[in-house]
Amino acid sequence: MGVHSVELQIPAHTNVAGFKSLLVEKFPALMGLMDHMLISVNQEYAFDEAIIPDNAEIALFPPVSGG
Amino acid sequence: MPRSRFFPLSRVVEMNYPTVYSITEDEIDINELLKQISLTSTGAAAIFTGMVRGVTTRDNVHETAHLEYESYKPMAEAKMKQVADEIRERWGTVEGIAIVQRIGRLYPRTPTVLIACTSAHRDTGVFDAARYGIDRLKEIVPVWKKEVGPEGNTWMVGNYIPKAGE
Repeated sequence: MGVHSVELQIPAHTNVAGFKSLLVEKFPALMGLMDHMLISVNQEYAFDEAIIPDNAEIALFPPVSGG
Repeated sequence: MPRSRFFPLSRVVEMNYPTVYSITEDEIDINELLKQISLTSTGAAAIFTGMVRGVTTRDNVHETAHLEYESYKPMAEAKMKQVADEIRERWGTVEGIAIVQRIGRLYPRTPTVLIACTSAHRDTGVFDAARYGIDRLKEIVPVWKKEVGPEGNTWMVGNYIPKAGE
């Protein structure tokens, strides 16, 4: 993608699954990666059915490997 | 009159139990952290630190020049707090808890992460509590490391998928 963060307008009541589709439309390079990404919404892990609230901070990242 | 007549005892005790957690680029100061999580009632501390292993002889045999750590800091610190809360739910005997992850470029023989739990005595589950802390950190705290060695760079990817509410 070449960017660290972007601001996106998404329709109200979009859920995480819908958000992933929107993101792949906008950034086709994410296509193959999306199934391996964890998603957080407002710094909590979020899953397909979760509705994204207003002004949410959403992050996509691979399974963690700290320690 | 004893203070516990006015406040639920658990609350009074909880207020006195230190919990420290951070993502930092600074060297992990074990003595300073230990000081922060020790009370006058503390008689035991279980301290685990993970380190950069320069030579790996188990499984995939290889050498590591250094590791590069990155984090999603605000969430990582919130998840460290969650790990500490989970430790307290499971081991009511734990007094202080310190959880620190160092990030940036780290070389072999360097501590990268520290989990320390203190308690009154060593037979209170304090070893298990620290073990739980490091295992849990490796599951839910958003930190990643890239391994740099003679054969190039590899981002390490974990295999734990958190569930809703984690």
